[in-house]
Amino acid sequence: MPAADVRVVPVQRMRPGDHAFVSYDGDDTRWDVLAAFARLGLAAGERVMVFAAPGVPDPEVLAHLGPADDAGRPGDADAWVRSARRSGQLVLSSMRELISPEREFTAVRQQGRLTEETDRAVRDGYAGLRAYIDMHWVRDMGAPIDAMVHRETHADHLFAGRPYAEVCAYDRRWFTGDVLDAMAQAHPRNLLTRLGALYATRTEGLLRLLGEADLSTRERFQGVVGDALRRTAEGGRLVLALRDLHFLDVGCAAELLTLVAAAGERGVRVEVRCSAFHLALLRRLGAATLPGLTLIGVSG
Amino acid sequence: MLEELREPSAGDPAAEGCWLERDFAEGDLPRLRVLTEEFAMWAGLAAAHRGEFVLAVNEVASNAIVHGGGRGRLMLRRTDGEVQCRVTDRGPGFDAAVIPELLPGLDSRCGRGLWLVRLVTDHLTIVPGPVGTVVTLAIRLP
Repeated sequence: MPAADVRVVPVQRMRPGDHAFVSYDGDDTRWDVLAAFARLGLAAGERVMVFAAPGVPDPEVLAHLGPADDAGRPGDADAWVRSARRSGQLVLSSMRELISPEREFTAVRQQGRLTEETDRAVRDGYAGLRAYIDMHWVRDMGAPIDAMVHRETHADHLFAGRPYAEVCAYDRRWFTGDVLDAMAQAHPRNLLTRLGALYATRTEGLLRLLGEADLSTRERFQGVVGDALRRTAEGGRLVLALRDLHFLDVGCAAELLTLVAAAGERGVRVEVRCSAFHLALLRRLGAATLPGLTLIGVSG
Repeated sequence: MLEELREPSAGDPAAEGCWLERDFAEGDLPRLRVLTEEFAMWAGLAAAHRGEFVLAVNEVASNAIVHGGGRGRLMLRRTDGEVQCRVTDRGPGFDAAVIPELLPGLDSRCGRGLWLVRLVTDHLTIVPGPVGTVVTLAIRLP
């Protein structure tokens, strides 16, 4: 588990200034997170640099970034990606290329180059720079792991108050558990490993949900919320922390209200801390009719 | 300045037309939401309405999965100053009469999704398709 001050967030929540760790053990999770990070960055008007694993050809990276339809015919959504690459908004690169003409990795050289690229992106008219770095380059360049841990824990100047965001992606099939744990702790943000997942953590009087609550995760949503309410003593209070719940569909929102209403009959009071958007959704669905429910808006 | 740097392309949503068309099933919903949010950003939908557009698209797509044969076909496009979504399913068919006028009570198990879609969109039509139903929703661009 990450340290208490490491925040776990879905990739869709990445913003300028964020420095995040993510791990993968297969192609599905790797490419989904990369595609979401890259495409939402392009849509936000940022320059996007992708440092894929050495040996992965550019066409393969592009194929995973573009949502060609089921007939294999690229739609205009793909044209955007191709256009972004032609214009220089999307850059496919490598760690060797980034630090060139230097041949040996040093944190100073790499961070200096990323600072230059961030400044250049702004000069070129973009809102900032976001980089996806597959950490397989460490093996490719023979960089010592210790140097990487030091780099990740001494990178605040790249991010603080700067329009730069970075995802460092670690292949769980190659890095050891100790290294993965150290790297996860070294990053202020840890990303959920796949899109569409719903996670829950519970402590006394508090249930925290993060990820996405939709048709696929509704059963789990009902289960964890219902269980937390049932375990709350008669006349007691439960806090539902939904700040990092990126998506809440209508079915899950309605189920939440139904469960809260049932718990209210036992005198259980519930405080929901959520985004302004989810607060509005719950109100539209009738939250105000539940006397035991308090909604508190929190910023992301 | 950014606009000056971008080269015009066939994928420019400023040029009206289909932006994305693809089949989907339940496991595709998270990816569809990312693509829908991206489309809404490209098209210039105000931040305040992007979440509503994504939610509305998700509800209609989920409806197709649950009631329309387990899958559907989604099209996103910008047209007539709107962002528009069309979902086609292969289910037994339904019409706008299934949408309740008032918010269903908490004891009701269905109807809220499309009720909310109608509430947050500027345009919602439900018509029979060649097979199943075609649902089209839209939100006006600023």
